Amino acid sequence: MNIHTYEKAWLVAAMVLIVGFIATITYGAVGPGIAMIDDDAGSIDPNEISDHERFGETGVEHLGGNEYEVNVVAQAWAYSPSEIEVPAGSEVTFYVTSRDVTHSFTVVGTNVNTMVVPGQISEMTVQFDEPGEYGILCNEYCGEGHHTMEGLLTVVPEDEFDLTELSTDAPREVEVGNETTINATVSNGMQDGLETTATLEIGEQQYERDVTIDGEGSAELTFDVDTDALGEGEHDWTFTVDDHEESGTLSVVSETDGGDTNE
Amino acid sequence: MEVTRMSSTAGQTYLDQFPAEAKVIKAAFWSSFMALAIGGLLGLVQALHRTDVLRFIDSADYYTVLTAHGVLLAITFTIFFLVGIFTWAVTTSLDRGVVDIRFTWAWYIMMVVGTILVGVSILGGVVDAIPTNADVLFTFYAPLQAHPAFYVGLVLFVVGSWLAGADWFRTWWAWRKENPDERIPLPTFMALTTTLFWYLCTLGVALSILVFLLPWSLGIVDSVNPLLTRTLFWYFGHAVVYFWLMPAYMMWYIMLPKLSGGKLFSDPLARVVFVLFLLLSTPVGIHHQYLDPGIAEGYKFIAMTNTMFLLLPSLLTAFTVVASMEHGARQRGGTGYLGWLKALPWRDPVFTGMALAGLMFAAAGFSGMINAGMNINYLVHNTWWVVGHFHLTVGTAVALTFMAAAYWFIPQVTGKELWSRRLALGQVLVWFVGMTFMSNAMHRSGLFGMPRRTAEPQYQGFDFEPAVGTVGEINAQVALGAVLLTVALAMFLLNMVMTSFNDDSDSLPANTYAGTLSGPEDSPAVLDNLKLWTAIAVVLVIVGYTLPLASIVDSGGLFGPDIGGFQLAIETDPALVLESVREVMP
Amino acid sequence: MASATEQRETDQVHEIGHEEYDPIGTAILIGIYFLILVLLWLFMYFVEFLGNGPTVVGALLTVVGLA
Repeated sequence: MNIHTYEKAWLVAAMVLIVGFIATITYGAVGPGIAMIDDDAGSIDPNEISDHERFGETGVEHLGGNEYEVNVVAQAWAYSPSEIEVPAGSEVTFYVTSRDVTHSFTVVGTNVNTMVVPGQISEMTVQFDEPGEYGILCNEYCGEGHHTMEGLLTVVPEDEFDLTELSTDAPREVEVGNETTINATVSNGMQDGLETTATLEIGEQQYERDVTIDGEGSAELTFDVDTDALGEGEHDWTFTVDDHEESGTLSVVSETDGGDTNE
Repeated sequence: MEVTRMSSTAGQTYLDQFPAEAKVIKAAFWSSFMALAIGGLLGLVQALHRTDVLRFIDSADYYTVLTAHGVLLAITFTIFFLVGIFTWAVTTSLDRGVVDIRFTWAWYIMMVVGTILVGVSILGGVVDAIPTNADVLFTFYAPLQAHPAFYVGLVLFVVGSWLAGADWFRTWWAWRKENPDERIPLPTFMALTTTLFWYLCTLGVALSILVFLLPWSLGIVDSVNPLLTRTLFWYFGHAVVYFWLMPAYMMWYIMLPKLSGGKLFSDPLARVVFVLFLLLSTPVGIHHQYLDPGIAEGYKFIAMTNTMFLLLPSLLTAFTVVASMEHGARQRGGTGYLGWLKALPWRDPVFTGMALAGLMFAAAGFSGMINAGMNINYLVHNTWWVVGHFHLTVGTAVALTFMAAAYWFIPQVTGKELWSRRLALGQVLVWFVGMTFMSNAMHRSGLFGMPRRTAEPQYQGFDFEPAVGTVGEINAQVALGAVLLTVALAMFLLNMVMTSFNDDSDSLPANTYAGTLSGPEDSPAVLDNLKLWTAIAVVLVIVGYTLPLASIVDSGGLFGPDIGGFQLAIETDPALVLESVREVMP
Repeated sequence: MASATEQRETDQVHEIGHEEYDPIGTAILIGIYFLILVLLWLFMYFVEFLGNGPTVVGALLTVVGLA
């Protein structure tokens, strides 16, 4: 074959270019350690997502140390959960699957981006070093409401992050003089123990208690409320533990008009 | 072999030489132009809607429009033009007509029927009187489900194109009997190698539709494996981009040198390039699935390596084609290191259109290299960057080359002179400028995560944050570009329509293509061994696809775990709209 | 000279054969293209992509990265 010298040189340059591209990509994989979405997380029957060990309950889970898992179900046209909060300095593994058609789970302005194909589980591990707020969107057409499918990922400073959940149980109305209690359940989703102070404020009164909850544990707190001291009337109360609070109103009524005492 | 083969037919147009074939080619070109007209207009509707410049359709209907735009332009426009050009290339370069013109009409009509079925089933998404729905976009990913007519139409269209390929092979075999010792003429060689990889790659989409999607849409089977049908789609889906690119390459190899006033620099390298496309076009489809779960990273890496080597034929083409143009320019008196560029026939719309298309393709080559890079795909996957990329490739390298070619071909197959060369020259320039605006803005917006395929890229909970410029400025450029492109499209169609009203002309140039500086006699005969190259191509496909497909079937099952079809529509009742966010309506 | 001869297909001034033709202009253009490709690639990969973190990493490889 009769190939001009310049063209031979270009052939060599083109091969250098190609090999250089492949080398850069390989560097990205072994240097910064960028991994592709692959088949590690396995397959799933979309009809059984609700009973699945991972996706039965979606959201953030603490694995220990700075490692977390986030389980997400995508469906037309929302993510469950739609808002995700993780701490800075964490290593988070996302598991995402679809209940219906193909979606994506794309964290805007980052390189966190995966297709979500029904029947498959997408797994990606990401390190979040800095606090920040990112949008999440679906970039694969998934029906007429596709453009409304979005979520939010917030990376909060490490010391502001917890997986504490609070629920309270309190009567709405009580007769003056009767004893009553405001009960709270505080659960700790972290693997580490939680030491904190729980506070109940009602009317002018304030109750405080130190609580210690094991990792993955929960505590029942019962506060006795002195209705005599409160006196008749509507009393707003607020229960606070860490930055979580729940509030309500307790009506203290006279013995005579009290029809029934709601528990 | 430095002279083109037309000794017996010097001075004649294609219509003079092959009047029967000219009619089919003319019909194919007009089918192509109609798809271009409708698809292009829908593109304007989308661009204005997405950028929030003008919204006169429901956002829910945007996806019907997008499906029609994609199918009409990516499949119908390109392939109808291709079958026209390849029929011209085979008959002209073999200097003989097709074996049986009725067969030629048969495949053309089959493709038309397929197009109508697909078009009507898509239109059902916005026209209540048509009880179909095919809002599945050009990629028809299951479990989004279209009406069976959509799948049947696609099959008819593809089978029509298979028969067209058979027609070219028959014609070549007939010629081979009469010319047992001759090298395959270059244009025929290009058409045949392209047809071979088309057969190879369309097997995937045929399998996907006939075995899985069509029976599933008819209710014969009740489940599919979405990852399997998706992988089969991309088995076809990357090769198809080379399928519609090859006629543009053919034009650059055999028309541009002639238009420049020179000869093709190297016939042997052109053959090498087309052989490489035959070998490598198909076992690369997984590079569209870099971010798919269920496919191991190793298979993705293999697909990337193949894809990167597929750059080679395109890079070689860049040199050969530019060198051929330089040869023409120097023969026309051009001098200097770069001064010869001024000696090129820039006032010829056919030349300028093709040259600008080639220039755009050089830019597209770069964004394609990014798309091919496996892990960098996290940055650009399914963003508007990708849309910017393929509007440079199919939307300019291919479309602008085809329109420029039409300025030469329509006179050849109708015997009528082009209505206005000046309008044609303006048209190719306006297209180039319009696409520069639109595509550049699209590429940039992909880098900050602006998604493709969406009616309203405006979100409640967050804003896009471009590093440079603003979202509004990018939208304005896209809208401006789209308007310019639509103006260029109208200029093109006007010229075509007015040309068809022209009187017959007898001052048209003869039907010729470029001669070669280094002819086929300089290349080893093994390059023409199509059986050998096909066999190697098949082996590469088996190597590239057996394990990924086996693992997908192994983990998800051949028919998937009871995955039915979805047509996800927003109900018209506003109360239900709220509910539909949480609810899936099969 | 070129401007006077456009639109005609036979405006050849002289014939240049394969042996005497050196596509030096093409070599220059393609060299410029090569440089553009290399620089843009480096910019896209190392600035746009690696600067666009957080990025998906392999759990195993992060250990290597820390070491």
